[in-house]
Amino acid sequence: MLLEVDKIEVGYGDAIALWDLSIGVKPGEIVSVVGPNGAGKSTLVNAIAGILRPHKGKIVIEGNDVSKVPSHRVCDYGIAVVPEGRRLFTMMTVLDNLLLGAYRSVARTERDATLAEVFQLFPILKERQDSLAGSLSGGQQQMVAIGRGLMAKPRVLLMDEPSLGLSPLIVGEMFKIIQMINERGVAVLLVEQNVNKALEIAHQAYVIEQGRVTASGAPEVLINDPSIREAYLGI
Amino acid sequence: MKKLLITAPIVAVLALLPYLGMADYYLSYLYIIFFWVVLATSWGILSGYTGYWSFGHAAFFGIGVYTTATLATQLSWPFVATIPAAALLAAAIAVLIGLVVFRSGTLRGEFFALLTLSVTFVVAAIVSNTSLDSGTGVFLSGIEIPMIGVTASGSLYMFGLIAVLASLATSYFIFHSKFGQGLLAIHDDEDVAEVKGVPTFRYKLISFAVSSALAGGMGAIHAVYVGYVTVGETFAVTVPLYVVLMSILGGARHWAGPAIGAVIITVLQSAIVSGAHAEFGRAGVALALIVVILVLPSGIVPSLIRSFAGRRGGIGAPETAAQAGTQLAPLAAAGSDPVLLKCENVTKSFGGIRALTGVTLDVWRGEILALVGPNGSGKSTLINMISGHYAMTSGTITLEGEEISGRSPHLIAQQGVARTYQIPRLFDNLTVLENVQLCAKFGSADGMGAAAVDAVTREALAFTGLAGKAGVLPAALNLHDRKFVEFARALAAKPRLLLLDEVLCGLNPAEVDHAVEMIKRIKAGGTTIIFVEHLMRAVVALADRVAVLDQGKVLALGHPSETMRDPAVVSVYFGGQ
Repeated sequence: MLLEVDKIEVGYGDAIALWDLSIGVKPGEIVSVVGPNGAGKSTLVNAIAGILRPHKGKIVIEGNDVSKVPSHRVCDYGIAVVPEGRRLFTMMTVLDNLLLGAYRSVARTERDATLAEVFQLFPILKERQDSLAGSLSGGQQQMVAIGRGLMAKPRVLLMDEPSLGLSPLIVGEMFKIIQMINERGVAVLLVEQNVNKALEIAHQAYVIEQGRVTASGAPEVLINDPSIREAYLGI
Repeated sequence: MKKLLITAPIVAVLALLPYLGMADYYLSYLYIIFFWVVLATSWGILSGYTGYWSFGHAAFFGIGVYTTATLATQLSWPFVATIPAAALLAAAIAVLIGLVVFRSGTLRGEFFALLTLSVTFVVAAIVSNTSLDSGTGVFLSGIEIPMIGVTASGSLYMFGLIAVLASLATSYFIFHSKFGQGLLAIHDDEDVAEVKGVPTFRYKLISFAVSSALAGGMGAIHAVYVGYVTVGETFAVTVPLYVVLMSILGGARHWAGPAIGAVIITVLQSAIVSGAHAEFGRAGVALALIVVILVLPSGIVPSLIRSFAGRRGGIGAPETAAQAGTQLAPLAAAGSDPVLLKCENVTKSFGGIRALTGVTLDVWRGEILALVGPNGSGKSTLINMISGHYAMTSGTITLEGEEISGRSPHLIAQQGVARTYQIPRLFDNLTVLENVQLCAKFGSADGMGAAAVDAVTREALAFTGLAGKAGVLPAALNLHDRKFVEFARALAAKPRLLLLDEVLCGLNPAEVDHAVEMIKRIKAGGTTIIFVEHLMRAVVALADRVAVLDQGKVLALGHPSETMRDPAVVSVYFGGQ
């Protein structure tokens, strides 16, 4: 297992958001976590990234327990986050945003090569590298956010709602990009509201509702699982 | 009565001191204490109560100083007549500043402090460069002071005493009034105070005016006391710094706190200035102050009150826990119109982003309407439009035929619209009881009598099962209870329409069941409910109708289980293929 979340309980003060939750990501996999609003998806991402501390349970990356590692050190274990809502440094150029992604020492030595790869993946970013990140369209900003994540040379890329706020056409493109990244050997943990797309590209999937895993398994089986319908539609 | 028995002899003794032949030196000394007590107490009326920290208190004090200096020397007004003039002018200027600053709710904290500080510099520059001062200072030695007491110092002492009594009485009565409770609520969460019916703008303006008037009046007296006024001394930054320090030390949120702080600091200061190693003394006092503030962050007076109350066995004996079956008293006058709330073409843009693109929706009397939809579909925005938190870009909202859109949130609240917050936003420095009481007091247009407020508060606490926790501060409650305080506060306003924003989020399954059962009981009391919720099982179980929002529009509306089967709704939730 590349990334193993083992029975974690995470909360905000006394509001518990995740209860006894376990998921696993194997090398080279796309794992999708789907669930309605408020199910705890972003909490899961923040817990893995070390921004929230689990009260119980542990998070293991290639055998190392990182549940007590400070969040700015978690990336040293090969984790990169593409946060919900992109969270770019909007007053900095596209290039500076990308270069900041290569902050950890391992990534810095290979920075130029990785940058070339990112530009190959997103040719438009090469063209617009000197523009302020805040001036880009939503889809392009999402590319910068993903590119910034890749610059850290992660083993696992955590993606929090990459389709949020994008037009349907761009959403389709975004999921193709995720597959392309995965084909280059990066495992992806994808947290999404868009069930159909997220399950379509996943190798493994989990449904969470109210902070608990309610179903898991192969996506083609899960898509017909009544628990998804119930979680999303209440029927 | 008991309070009067304690206060009257103290005041009598203080008033008699000049006649008892106390030396001028000591009367002067006491005057200086009075001076700081008035400044600190008046500062507390705005800044202590509302949390709008002013660093411009010297400006209003200085306006008083120079009003008297000018009127008494250049226009030969009698000294006594200049005092109300000074107070009024200070209050008027405060109102002018407040009209601009308080309009925008964003000028809080450090912005307000800096802005008021800069007012001091502006006023100082004006005074210094006009004939008010001409840069040379003004002598008031020739001013005649009416003789109260035996000597001139005795007379000023008496004026100081009157100012102290006026300030403390003002602060005391405000503290114990509905107005004062509104100010304290503004301190804790201004947006929520407004939504609960507190006219925040007007209240801030009045407290700013009162605070400045008292400072201005003290300035008038002090001008004569010092005899020679200069811009440098009058508008010194040390004035607000001392006043802030005194208030924090004594407890800014209590009427007596600033006064106690002022006495302590003034006495300590004079004790040190006269000693041999003044510099060590000063450092020591500074250190002691730091320690006191760290140990007692809310100030001496509130801490003492708390420890006394604690020894007496808790604030208010725990009442018997409520039985779960309590019902709400039905609403008084239910109208006849089957449509309670009408949203017509409600549109809201934030900059270029359109959060709501023309929502038209009727809410029926007595129903539970669920608002659902993906992230960013505009559910919370719609709630914020109805409660008046945001002004809408276009469209109208009417409640029983009366247009409420465009009104201030506190007026909408008084019309009978109450809301809760997803993350409870309680007034952290008020007890659970006071939180609920405040909403009962401010939640209706006519204003209930004390007995009615009491009854409604008790009913809301019993209904939510919080009666046993009435005396505790919100911080001592868990999330579940804090959410129920949100319920109790909303119910205390006796709303016709209740807006619930994700009340179930963060609760465990047992607590969810409890809350769902309570929402049913609220509906049984005749209140119409709109609730935003992601927990779809609860939506289907509770709602009479469900409205699905998508991209700022109503996509579907109808019976829950049918609506949620609508292919358009399903595709919104599951994403396109």
